[in-house]
Amino acid sequence: MTRREFGRVVVTTASAAVLGVRRSGAAVVEQAGGLAGRGSNRSIVGGVQFGLQPFCYHDLAMTPENRATLVQRLVQNGMGMVELHATWVEPRFAAPGVSAEAAREKLRAWRAGSSVDHCRIVKKEFDEAGIEIFTYYVNIDDRYTDAEIDAVFAGAKALGARGCIGSQGLDVTRRVAQFPGRHGMFVGVHNHDNLSDPDAINNEASFVKALGFSPDVRATLDTRHFTAANGDCIDFLQKYHERVSSVHLGDRRKNNGRSAPFGEGDAPLIEVLQLIRDNKWPIVVLLEFEHGTLRPAVEEVQLMFDYCKRALS
Amino acid sequence: MRRLLLCCCGLIVLVSVSVAAQSSSASATTRTRASYDIDFIGPPLADRVMQQAKETYVVFGCAYCHGVTLTPRGEATDLTRSALVGSDTNGDRIVALLRAGIPQTAKLSPMPQFSDLSDRQLHDIARYIHYARQESRYRQLVDATLGAGDATAGKAQFDQQCASCHPDGLVGIARKYDAPTLRDRLLRPRGLADVQSFEVAALRDTKNAAARASHNHLLENYTPTNVANLVAYLSTR
Repeated sequence: MTRREFGRVVVTTASAAVLGVRRSGAAVVEQAGGLAGRGSNRSIVGGVQFGLQPFCYHDLAMTPENRATLVQRLVQNGMGMVELHATWVEPRFAAPGVSAEAAREKLRAWRAGSSVDHCRIVKKEFDEAGIEIFTYYVNIDDRYTDAEIDAVFAGAKALGARGCIGSQGLDVTRRVAQFPGRHGMFVGVHNHDNLSDPDAINNEASFVKALGFSPDVRATLDTRHFTAANGDCIDFLQKYHERVSSVHLGDRRKNNGRSAPFGEGDAPLIEVLQLIRDNKWPIVVLLEFEHGTLRPAVEEVQLMFDYCKRALS
Repeated sequence: MRRLLLCCCGLIVLVSVSVAAQSSSASATTRTRASYDIDFIGPPLADRVMQQAKETYVVFGCAYCHGVTLTPRGEATDLTRSALVGSDTNGDRIVALLRAGIPQTAKLSPMPQFSDLSDRQLHDIARYIHYARQESRYRQLVDATLGAGDATAGKAQFDQQCASCHPDGLVGIARKYDAPTLRDRLLRPRGLADVQSFEVAALRDTKNAAARASHNHLLENYTPTNVANLVAYLSTR
């Protein structure tokens, strides 16, 4: 054991104690049990569950109208799991002559009234294609009422999601953290690389703050942004893997550098994948890319997925 | 012997057919350019150098946030309205920004830095941004309803921006064109209508290139109001 490895063990133990990490949280149990129970899922490689963040399909607007195409592309890419953004699911109320505030109010009312039934129908579309909705991506902000946040979780549950995730900052996360437990779910926090905003989740320290709000808070570690913010993904996973629900796997260069194709940036993608595999951690790997390509997105996703398969072969 | 000759002829025919098939397949691949997402990137531009600039813009991820045609996604800056792009000349401001990024920002994701790109790649990105902004601005201005305009304000603008190259004040132009045509000529003068080429053969064309650059810079910064004012003034000439 090297000095660094020893240091990690000590820090991990200390951090786990500080955060009150426990395996008995409903969300963790559900996550682990869920992974074990889906042997037929298409995108498990070397015991690692893969899925997709469909931002990847850059050319496809994230609308309910395009949902069927999304399902078709996920099948093409052999993806059995997805992180679904709310805009793929919810109706749009913005229209000529409808003010932004009126549209927002209609959406709030819809969430409280009809969202659960609607989400069950949407779930069926994905079920029929053999795709599980792992998480529901909603950027909750200060304008959400408590009832609305609760309705979002209820809708997400109806979709079969195990948690809601978003790019909310620390203040909003503190508030949202009280809701997922009521539904046996978790709330995921996703990092970006804005180091100038004290409310942003952008590094280990801010993740630790967010995870401290509730045992139902989980980390969605974005390897691209964490690397761009000069964070150490491996160190983070070794310390906090029990609180990490998923990684957004993509490559970027350090020092707020640009996104890059897999293997051309500074993110330790192969090491992350092997770490998850070797430790049998129930952390879902969601592929995501923001780098440029001339290829069609389905083809690029396939290259990324193939890269991961080689890393785990 | 005769059987041997027949065998040889048959072999030659087979080899010829096979070579022809391979050659045909290779040229078909070249023509269709596999792995080029035409639906997302759009058809290749006539000017190959500008197409190269466009591909550089796409390949290094600019299109992901700012859009291929500069229609931004999420919180990205709208480059068709950016003051920095509007005041850039030959990449002098855009390239510096690309090298440094914008780490201090209120946005969720800061603009990344591209300091690992070569000078040429950075200038290619700047060149394509200008081209796309001109295309976008032209469409917006031509599609806008042409208002009545203020001829006095138009004269002031003409004196400031146009008179140095058009000292004759474009006298008589109102007799040649109606207002909508005037607007179109103002935005894209017919003699300069072609996209500025950066190909070697076009390098001799310095006079037209300078005029085109001038008009394009104006085009990138026109608003429907100042176009209407200029048209109102030119309609009196």
